[in-house]
Amino acid sequence: MYTISLLNQKSVDLQNLPTLAQMWIEVRTILPSTVDDFIIEFSETIEPSVLKVLELARDHLYSRPDCPASAETAQIVIDYSWEKLNTGTWRDVDKEWRRMYSYGCLFKVLSLCNGDPSQTKVKEAIKTCDMGLLMGAAIMDNILQRLVCILKNTMKLSTNVEKCEEPRSKKMKQERVSEPVINPAQAVPRIQCPSLERFRSDFLDPQKPVIIERIIDHWPAFTEHPWSIDYLRSVAGCRTVPIEVGSKYTDEEWSQKLITVNEFIDSYILGTEAKGVGYLAQHQLFDQIPELKEDIRIPDYCCLGEGDEDDITINAWFGPVGTVSPLHQDPQQNFLAQVVGRKYIRLYSPEETENLYPHESQLLHNTSQVEVENPDLVKFPEFHKASYEECVLQPGDVLFIPVQHWHYVRSLELSFSVSFWWS
Amino acid sequence: MSRVQFETDDGVVCVSGGSRVCVSGFVCGSSGQACVPESEGCTDASISERHVTVSFTRRVECWEIQQAQKRLVWSREQESSGQDGPLPLVPGGYVVPRPPFFRPLCTKLCAVSLALGTEHAVLLSASGAVFTWGSGSHGQLGHGHLTSQEEAQVVEALWGVQITAVSAGGWHSASVSAGGDLYMWGWNESGQLGLPSRSVEEGKLRERRTGDALVSKDLCVDSCGFGNADLDANQAEEKNKDDVFISIQAFPALVDIPQVSEIIRVACGSRHTAAVTGTGDLYTWGWGWYGQLGHDTERSTDEPALVKYFHSRDMCVGDVVCGLWNTFVSAVPEKPSSHTE
Repeated sequence: MYTISLLNQKSVDLQNLPTLAQMWIEVRTILPSTVDDFIIEFSETIEPSVLKVLELARDHLYSRPDCPASAETAQIVIDYSWEKLNTGTWRDVDKEWRRMYSYGCLFKVLSLCNGDPSQTKVKEAIKTCDMGLLMGAAIMDNILQRLVCILKNTMKLSTNVEKCEEPRSKKMKQERVSEPVINPAQAVPRIQCPSLERFRSDFLDPQKPVIIERIIDHWPAFTEHPWSIDYLRSVAGCRTVPIEVGSKYTDEEWSQKLITVNEFIDSYILGTEAKGVGYLAQHQLFDQIPELKEDIRIPDYCCLGEGDEDDITINAWFGPVGTVSPLHQDPQQNFLAQVVGRKYIRLYSPEETENLYPHESQLLHNTSQVEVENPDLVKFPEFHKASYEECVLQPGDVLFIPVQHWHYVRSLELSFSVSFWWS
Repeated sequence: MSRVQFETDDGVVCVSGGSRVCVSGFVCGSSGQACVPESEGCTDASISERHVTVSFTRRVECWEIQQAQKRLVWSREQESSGQDGPLPLVPGGYVVPRPPFFRPLCTKLCAVSLALGTEHAVLLSASGAVFTWGSGSHGQLGHGHLTSQEEAQVVEALWGVQITAVSAGGWHSASVSAGGDLYMWGWNESGQLGLPSRSVEEGKLRERRTGDALVSKDLCVDSCGFGNADLDANQAEEKNKDDVFISIQAFPALVDIPQVSEIIRVACGSRHTAAVTGTGDLYTWGWGWYGQLGHDTERSTDEPALVKYFHSRDMCVGDVVCGLWNTFVSAVPEKPSSHTE
């Protein structure tokens, strides 16, 4: 029976150990104490040969975690399950392969940060945890989430000494683009903290959009630690997130990439480079970074839905001025809460669908082909017949977008919104 | 002559001179080689992660090989017409390595060979036309879009080009014309199409920047020349801005290999490609992390590169077969005189 070799030192004096070496001791406490306690179980979906490789990675960890074979074996598991994750549509990927991917990430992280790792290795380990959290499925009581907390705290402590990342948020892109003029006749109505009953009878049942004011003012995101670039850097800076690049997702040039929040802020929020517009869009950031979830609250009105609280999908939308979500519809009710900056939003009811020219392809059938603020009326002659409502969403506003209501969104400045999809 | 065919990262199958299948790797539960006695007398065989398909003169069988006890999971009596192509083609259809194993194939297609990718199929007809079907998510069908296709559909872009060989990888496809041209389409994630790939370029940049040998052994060798590293990185970055990277190529693209006039064979792995030239040289490109390219490094490359091993030993490569993460080559020690002029 093996136990994890702690460190080479015979007696461990925690006080005098470098921070990064202490980390390994902390990491070790959340792992099963012996290899025999480390039980790996999979269904028959996983070939026995792949399981064998995974077990090898585990055994390496408990016998010689510093041996290169340990990292190599973990990498094989990652690469093999990555191919499985890319086979078929994402929806249809067997959850067992996503679990397998998480295990691969787990063992890679452990091989990266055992002993006294360099800061580069810890960064790589955090990135690996995030890859597991983004693409894998939870394993061992969400061990990747617990690991990343330890790694992040260590980075904080050690960067205090090394000061490798200076916050550079003093100057922000201040450009402002075409300010929309809202026609009062088409303005989305506003209401202040309505009762549940009133919201149901006046808006939910008749499926009418409304801006609800004064219901998120108490969020810690506004009070205890107002969301700022510096705050986001400190909470999430080293975390890897998916970014959409391109002015809107219907563009040919549109692409997605995985970068850290710090890189995103540097290149796309503060940066002036002509790399295209970058948008952290429709990402379940609050599941990935629970610390941020503490700063927000689920609106009470969601309880009018039939689903459980766990069924509510919370997405983050963080980007510079000029991000555009083309006119589209979603299959759930939506509360769009504006935390930072302002957004111009236009809404069309589902009855207008035939005037909105949805894309024909299956993938984009919930998206209109029309550029809302610059429509090609030769190609889409009926578009101007469609009646709409519009608004500029201000920090503290929550917009109720009824299910299947078409919406178009453009940020007027640096913006952070949180959406709650519920049914 | 023995024929080797291989489709998994951890198992090998060979039909040896005695017409018997031997497997090695994790599939047989040990690192040694194990023969499959049930395969005695077979004429052809192919392997996948879970199954070995063996064909006999009048019968074709599928064996599950991952457990210690091999298990017959499917078999079919067959009446050979004498004109059937190699596996996975069988009279009237083809065999896939998962239930229901047999899939019928329209006889009008006159298939002479069939290549099965992870989720798609590429068929060569007797007339030299190429048909594809299955998943099109990464452009691997070559019809110019990313939708999937239930029925075999001709690759129109290759219409009029006489094709002599086809291959299918994880998410990409290849074909060789009678004139020795190579056409490729599908996913270029690791440069497997031989077209500029973003991840390959970024990999090069990363490698030059980090002295930390996290990735592989060859990194250490590379970082010895560290004096130039920054310069190279800057140059690459400059290049980055103008380069057009190709992620998905949804139509067949003619792949040009400098100094090569004729390709005669091609094989696709999960994310790499190998091709044999008319002069008996082997070129490989795409994903290289597991040594599948046979170069001195484990780097991926989006430029077809000569495998020096055979060239420097004056060996003539005759054929190549790719597994998911590996490459098998048949080569003879000396180049035939007709080629060494």
